[in-house]
Amino acid sequence: MQDATRTIGRFARRFWRGVREWCGDAAYERYLRSSAAQGDGCPRLTAQEFYVEQLNRRYSRPNRCC
Amino acid sequence: MRRVARILIWIAVAVLGAGALGKIAFDRGESLNAMWFVIAALCCYLVAYRLYSAFLAARLLALDDTRATPSERNDDGRDFVPTNKWVLFGHHFAAIAGPGPLVGPTLAAQFGYLPGTLWLIAGAAFAGCVQDFIILFCSIRRDGKSIGQMAREEVSKRGGFIAQLAVLAIMVILLGVVALVVVNALKSSPWATFTLAMTIPIALLVGVYLRFVRPGRVLEASLMGVALIFFVVVAGQWVADSPSWARIFTLGGVPLAFAIIVYAFAASALPVWLLLAPRDYLSAFIKAGAIFALAAGILFVRPHVLMPPLTRFIDGSGPVFAGKIFPFCFITIACGAISGFHSLISSGTTPKMILRESHARFIGYGAMLLESFVGVMAMVAACAMTPGVYFAINSPPSIVGATPDAAAATISGWGFPLTAQTMAGLAHAVGEQTLWNRAGGAPSLAVGMAQIFSNTIGGERLLSIWYHFAIMFEALFILTVLDAGTRVGRFMVQELGGRVWKPFARTGWMPSILLSSAIIVGMWGYFLYQGVVDPLGGINSLWPLFGISNQLLAAVALVVATTILLKMGRTRWVWVTLLPMAWLVIITMTASYQKIFDANPRIGFLAYANALAAQIAAGKIPAAKLVDTQRLIFNQRLDAAVTAVLAVMVIVLIAEALVQWYAILSSRRAPALHESPYVQTQWAPGYTGVAQGDD
Repeated sequence: MQDATRTIGRFARRFWRGVREWCGDAAYERYLRSSAAQGDGCPRLTAQEFYVEQLNRRYSRPNRCC
Repeated sequence: MRRVARILIWIAVAVLGAGALGKIAFDRGESLNAMWFVIAALCCYLVAYRLYSAFLAARLLALDDTRATPSERNDDGRDFVPTNKWVLFGHHFAAIAGPGPLVGPTLAAQFGYLPGTLWLIAGAAFAGCVQDFIILFCSIRRDGKSIGQMAREEVSKRGGFIAQLAVLAIMVILLGVVALVVVNALKSSPWATFTLAMTIPIALLVGVYLRFVRPGRVLEASLMGVALIFFVVVAGQWVADSPSWARIFTLGGVPLAFAIIVYAFAASALPVWLLLAPRDYLSAFIKAGAIFALAAGILFVRPHVLMPPLTRFIDGSGPVFAGKIFPFCFITIACGAISGFHSLISSGTTPKMILRESHARFIGYGAMLLESFVGVMAMVAACAMTPGVYFAINSPPSIVGATPDAAAATISGWGFPLTAQTMAGLAHAVGEQTLWNRAGGAPSLAVGMAQIFSNTIGGERLLSIWYHFAIMFEALFILTVLDAGTRVGRFMVQELGGRVWKPFARTGWMPSILLSSAIIVGMWGYFLYQGVVDPLGGINSLWPLFGISNQLLAAVALVVATTILLKMGRTRWVWVTLLPMAWLVIITMTASYQKIFDANPRIGFLAYANALAAQIAAGKIPAAKLVDTQRLIFNQRLDAAVTAVLAVMVIVLIAEALVQWYAILSSRRAPALHESPYVQTQWAPGYTGVAQGDD
C-alpha cells in the first residue's frame, strides 16, 4: 500500500513538473540552473528581464502552425 | 516466449485495424458507429509507429544516441535547453496543432466520410509523419538550422531564397484564410463576438500580471485567465439576450474583417508580453483541454456517423467548394495528413531542445500521428450531424438559394432531407440567430462538437453553452495563429526590406515596426477582405489556395530531405521521401492548373473572371454593382497569379534539386553534407532531462 502511494506520489510530482516545464512556468528556474552550471560569471537576468527576453525571442520565429 | 507474445499482440492490432478499416470502407448499412473510426485510426497509427517509424529510425536515419544533440552542446538555458521527451512532445504538438486539422476534414466531409478519413490515416503515416521526423532529424544534425538555411546549404543558394519566399507567401495566404474562418464563425453572432472580444482584455490582464505582479508564473496566471474565459462564454448569453447589447456585438462580415485586421496590427506592433504571449498561453491550455474533451466525448457518446461514405459531390459539383475528389480532397485535408508548415517547427524550436537523437522518432513521427487523430475526430464530429444540416451551414446562398425554404428545398433535392424549421430550431438551440451560410468549417464543427459534448454533460439545456465554447476555442486559437503569424511575417518583411534599405531590418525601430506590420497585415488583410465580399463565400476560392501553398511547402521540405538522404548515401531508401514528394507535386500541380485554367467558373479563377467580364460587356451588371464586380474580376486574376507564382517557384526548386541529384548519383560530384561534426555525449545513458536534483 505504501509502495503504491509512493509510486502515485512520484508520478504526480513528475506530472506536475512536466506541466510546469511545458507551459513555461519553470523556465526561469531552468535558466538559473543552466547559468549556475556554466559558471561563466555573466550577470544573471532578473525574473522580469528573463521573461520579456525569452518572449521576444520565442515570438520572432514561427512557433504556431496552421 | 515473450517475443512470440509480442508478435502475436502486434498481429492482433494489425488485424483489428484492418477489420475496422474494412468496416468503414465497405459498410453500407444505415449508419456507422464512430468507434470504428477510432479503432481503425488508433490501430493503424500503432502499427505505423511500431514498424515504419522504427524502420526510418534504424535503417534510414540510423539515429545515434551516443552523439551529443544541439541542446547538450549549446545549452544556454534559453534557446538550447535539454528537455524531457514527454514535455518536448507536448511543446511540439502544441506548436503544430492549429486550425487546419479541424477545418480541413470538416470541409472535405462534403465528399463523404471515406476519402478524407483514408487520406488522414495513410497520408499521415507515409507522408506527414515522415516529413516531420526527417526534417527534425536533419535540423538536429545541423545545430537546429531552419528549413530555409538547409535548402540554401544542401540544395542551392537559389533554393534557399525560394524556400524563404514560399514561407512568406504561405504565411500571407494562411493568415487571410484562417481570419476568414473566424469572420464566418462570428458573423451575426453577438454571443460569439462578445466572448471573443472579451478574450482581449483578459489577455491584457494576464499579460500585466505576468510582467509586473508575478513575472513568468504562467500556470497560475493562465488558470486565472481560463476561468475568466469560461465566465465570458456564459456571460455571452446575457449579451445575446439583451437587445441593446446584442445590437452592439452583432456585426457583418466587413466590419468584423476590419476589426480583426486592426487587432492583428496591434498585436504585432505592441510589446509581445502585453497581448500576444498571454493570449497564446490561454489558447494552449484551452486547445489541449478541448481536444482531450472531444476525444473523451467521442469515446463516451460513440455517435453514429450519418454522412454517407461517398456523396454525389465527388464529381466536383460540391456546394462547400468546387472541384473533383482528385486532387481537391487532398488539397482540402492538408494539415491533418501532411503540412508544409510543420517543417518550420521541426527545424525551429524543437531540434534545439531535443535530448537525444532517438527522441526524434517519438516527437517528430508521434506528434504528427496525434495531429492526424485530431483530424479524424473532426471528421467524425462533422459527419455525425445530419448531412442536410452540414450542407445548410456550409453552403453559400448563391448555390442553395437565398431564402431558408429555397435552400432547404435545394439540399433536400440532393438527397439530404432538410426543412427550414429544422435549421431554425437548431439555431435557436445553439443560441444563434441563424446557421445558414456559415461556410468555413468552424460553425459546423462547433455544432458537431456541441452535440457530442451535450450528450456527455448537460443534455439539450447546455447545447448553446457548448456550441459557444467550441466557437470560442476555435476562434481563440485561430487568432493566436493570426497574431503570432503576423509578428513572424513582420520580421520576414523587415529582413527582406533590410536588403534594400538597411535601417528597415532593425527590429526595434518603431517606424520599421509600424510599416512592416502594416505591410504584412495589408497583404493578408486583402485576401481576407476579398473572401468576405466574395459571393461564392470566399472559402471556395481561398481554402484551396491555402491547401495548395501548404502542400507546396511540404514538397519543398521533402525535396530538401531527399537531397540530404542522397548525400548521406541512402540511395536505396530514398523512395521514403521521394514518393510522398512526387505525390504532392502531382496533386498540387494538378490543383494549381485546375484552379487557374479550368473552364468551370466555380473552379477556375480565370474562367470566373472571364464570365464576370462577359456579364459586364453584355450589360447584365447593374451600374451600382459595377465597381464590386470589377474588383471581383481583379481578385480572381490575382488568385490565379499567386497560384502560378507558387507553382513556378516550386518547379524551379525541384529543377535545382534534380541537377544536384544527377550530380550525386552519377558520381560527378562528391556530396558535401553540411552536418555538424560528431561530438560524443557526456550524459549518462539513463539521463532523461529531468530537472537536476528534484527526483
